[in-house]
Amino acid sequence: MNIYIKTSLKIIVVVILIFEVLSYLLTKKVNKHYSDDELRQTALSRNMSSIPSTYNELLKLVDSPENKLSKDKIELGKNLFFDKTLSKDRDISCDTCHMIEKDNKENKTFSNMLLSKNKDSVKDCVVCHLSDQSGTDRLGAAIGHNQQVNPLHLNTLSILNSALAKHQTWSGEVQSVEQQAGNSIQDPYKMNLSVQDAQQRLSQDNSYVQMFEKVFKDQKNPEAPTLTFENLQKAIGAYVRTLLTRSDYDKFLDGDDNAISQEAKKGLANFMNFGCKGCHTGKSVGGQSIQKFPLRDYNSFLDLTNTFSENTKGRAVSQVSFNFNMSHPYPFENIGGFMGKNSQRLFRVPMLRNVTKTSPYFHNGSVAKLRDAVHIMAKHQLGMNLTDTQTDEIVAFLKTLEGDIVNYSIEDEGKL
Amino acid sequence: MKTKHIKTYILLIFITGLLQLDFLKIDWEYFKYIQALHILGSVIVTLFLLVPLVNVHVYKHLIVKKENSINGLLLGIVLFLITASGFYLFLVGNRGGDLFGIYSFDIHLYGSFLLLIALFMHTKKRINPTLISSIIILFMGTLFYPTLSLGDTSNKLTNIQLEENVDRYHIEDWTNSAKCKSCHTEIFNQWADSNHRHIAETNPYYMVMENLAAQDKGQGFRKWCMGCHNPSAITTGQDKTTHTMNDNIMPDVLFESGSAALIDELKTHGNSRLEQGVSCITCHRITKTESKGNSSYSLDVTNRKKYVFEDSNSQVSQWLDEKFINSNPKVHKESYSNPIYKKSTYCASCHDEFLPDSNLSVVATFKEWEKSPFNNPTDLSKHKNCIDCHMTNLKDDKFSPLKGSSTEGGKIKEDVKVHYFSGSNHFLSGLKNKVNEDQTIQLLKSSAKLDVAIKDGKIEVGVKNVGAGHHLPTGVADFRELWLDITLKDKDDKVVFESGKLKADNNLGEDARPFMKIFGDENGVPVGLLFWKYKKLLSDTRIPAGERRVESYDIKEELQYPLTATVKLNFRVYPQWVTDAVKRAYPQLPNPPVVELNKIEKVFSKGTFN
Repeated sequence: MNIYIKTSLKIIVVVILIFEVLSYLLTKKVNKHYSDDELRQTALSRNMSSIPSTYNELLKLVDSPENKLSKDKIELGKNLFFDKTLSKDRDISCDTCHMIEKDNKENKTFSNMLLSKNKDSVKDCVVCHLSDQSGTDRLGAAIGHNQQVNPLHLNTLSILNSALAKHQTWSGEVQSVEQQAGNSIQDPYKMNLSVQDAQQRLSQDNSYVQMFEKVFKDQKNPEAPTLTFENLQKAIGAYVRTLLTRSDYDKFLDGDDNAISQEAKKGLANFMNFGCKGCHTGKSVGGQSIQKFPLRDYNSFLDLTNTFSENTKGRAVSQVSFNFNMSHPYPFENIGGFMGKNSQRLFRVPMLRNVTKTSPYFHNGSVAKLRDAVHIMAKHQLGMNLTDTQTDEIVAFLKTLEGDIVNYSIEDEGKL
Repeated sequence: MKTKHIKTYILLIFITGLLQLDFLKIDWEYFKYIQALHILGSVIVTLFLLVPLVNVHVYKHLIVKKENSINGLLLGIVLFLITASGFYLFLVGNRGGDLFGIYSFDIHLYGSFLLLIALFMHTKKRINPTLISSIIILFMGTLFYPTLSLGDTSNKLTNIQLEENVDRYHIEDWTNSAKCKSCHTEIFNQWADSNHRHIAETNPYYMVMENLAAQDKGQGFRKWCMGCHNPSAITTGQDKTTHTMNDNIMPDVLFESGSAALIDELKTHGNSRLEQGVSCITCHRITKTESKGNSSYSLDVTNRKKYVFEDSNSQVSQWLDEKFINSNPKVHKESYSNPIYKKSTYCASCHDEFLPDSNLSVVATFKEWEKSPFNNPTDLSKHKNCIDCHMTNLKDDKFSPLKGSSTEGGKIKEDVKVHYFSGSNHFLSGLKNKVNEDQTIQLLKSSAKLDVAIKDGKIEVGVKNVGAGHHLPTGVADFRELWLDITLKDKDDKVVFESGKLKADNNLGEDARPFMKIFGDENGVPVGLLFWKYKKLLSDTRIPAGERRVESYDIKEELQYPLTATVKLNFRVYPQWVTDAVKRAYPQLPNPPVVELNKIEKVFSKGTFN
């Protein structure tokens, strides 16, 4: 008996020793490091590609048979985009929320605004935020007609690159930029202008009548009215389709190894390996599908919180209660109570291009910092707790997605 | 002494010089001795061998024998340049701030090859072409690897050095200043409304300027501003200064006193949110300063001795932490104080500012102080450091050291250094706290004295800088207004002359002569807001420390005496046109008031000349 115990003890000691030593004996697993070219090839093979830099390539990408792009149409759309006539009180134009500059070739908006002698020119937040060309207003929730805050506390999505998305808006229920342009004009919380009023207002303006005539005159059916709401949507849509941005990330994909930093390259590798690119994919780095958020339902019967704590990077233990209702749908404060498509917490995957310019994050703007947003996404969509370094690297990669609107030299096809 | 020996010495000096080139990357242990050998060796060789020999040689050949040697002349000129630049580098140095240093360095480096060639050509024998060509090749090599010494560090946008093996900090490495409040309440409250606290995200003027710089010079240029204005953000890898948002509302921090939002933030978010601006930790964890300006300081935030619960956010452990510190405060005190904090060289790391691309000096407060009578290391009773004026309590317009303790229940000190950081910007701190404003205005009022005289059809006003150990105004003197407001009335109380009045739009009248410097671009056009475009100094009418400037104005000769002259020295912290620009982005910002620093009234009966 004694001998058995002794031998088994010896065996246990030996086994433990073997395990102890084994980790030193075995060669460490070598982490795979992508070379710059491998990284690029991997990205390209996984449906991530760059934004075109010429108008010809742009046409191949965004031109649709329903709304053929032409120089005049884009010009008309641009005028409409910046025209306050399209809101009920004539105080809001598309660019009020989707802040961009009409003439984006000039890099002097900010200094011109600061030093302009015109006392009535725009004041406050706009002065700085127009110059960052983000295509959004950086508010927690959009503000529209009559200073009303969006009832669901949804914030403005960037207009930039939106034409590349398969689905529009937070819930993804809108299919095209043309359709969404019409929705925004009619939405009582946005511009609040009816179809009839819009047509009537534009028909009073002679230059618009002529431009619509020039752009939409149908040779087969010359009697058809040209100044219609549908054509208005098409014109704005045509302009929006040209609002694409190119960034350092595109330069990297196009072959410039030095366009992005080493840290950003690691971030890109993480982005692909961890599975972020599974949803945030395509040229637009997102916007291609509708997915559930949060994917991992962390609510339990014993509920602890409905807020996201930045200290613990998890739920804040602020209240302990039994959870009979599903009242805590998000890992952050549920301001506005928006529940996504069909109230199933289904969201259009947001586009990550220019993500550094579109804080605050998530549909209700509850998360202010990009690092926290990355952390939440990794935890609740991928089931990973990222280390600080991994988060840093991903954030460094996301920073490379920040770009400027491409100034396409727009010419009609015959002239190209 | 044979010339051959001298040539060998020069060759040795040349080689020790070459060894100091950057691209050889000589180990510091050897480098430091090579440098010492090079400098001391060449000084000894020059003074005791070279100069006497050259004297004798030149006398013999040029004056007695009347030889006409072009080689010799060339060698003489080059030798002179090398020696002069060498002595400049030795005695003044190449500190990056002055162009002479950089020129001297270039002359010394590139000229040395010329010297070598000239040296070997200056011989009676036939010149060996391989020798000359190998020197030329060597020379070409240095062109590819120019070693500009300090000239190139100034091209960096920031010069902050972090501790070893640390590239950047995590946000939680910084400690929210509100954490210091519970024990250092008085000091915290002074700082909370001071200009050091409100130097970044909460300062409308700064926010507009940083964004303007980014638009004009590219986003990366923000780093130049952030090195001093926002050390916590730049060392945690943030690219820009960002203001906080409270959902759709931007919290109005302009009028909030006591940094209430910062205290709230610590309560709700613990230490996980970044505090921007110059925090307690920023200054109290600087370990070294190079006093070169443009954020040339070394930080060490991570290697401080912390007590067990120092990083904890829960209330219980924070309470415990305080008890732990108070029971053994020595370690805590040592962690956050350093003898260098009392020296002016410490402040110099930020209160000197130069353009990163051209090295042109924009702000030179420290350098002005260095040359002023306030810097008097030989007579310490007259020596005044930055903190002797800017961190000393003022009462009834006089320095009156505050007796008390810097810690709750701490040792009573005779002169507690106050943290109002009074300078000239009374306005922004005054929106938050009148005590801070009052301290600054008292300091401002102690700075200058006025005198007035009428003679030869002129009214002459003298302004003497009596209180400031630097120019008046200093700092961003291109954005400061200090001017004379003069009113001259005759017997019938009728105004016969005036100058320095504000126009209807609140801007200073064109006739005023503000004491300031005006920056111009390469075409001599004033740069306005874009001060980083500065290439030429258009004018500099500031008053150096201890000096008196006289402004004289023509008045009509036939005047009804007695005349009454009222002269005010007025100060406005920002010109109206600057405030107007900032108000485009921050409409709630009020206009900075005009502060009367000094005033005299004098009656001149006919014939008075003084």
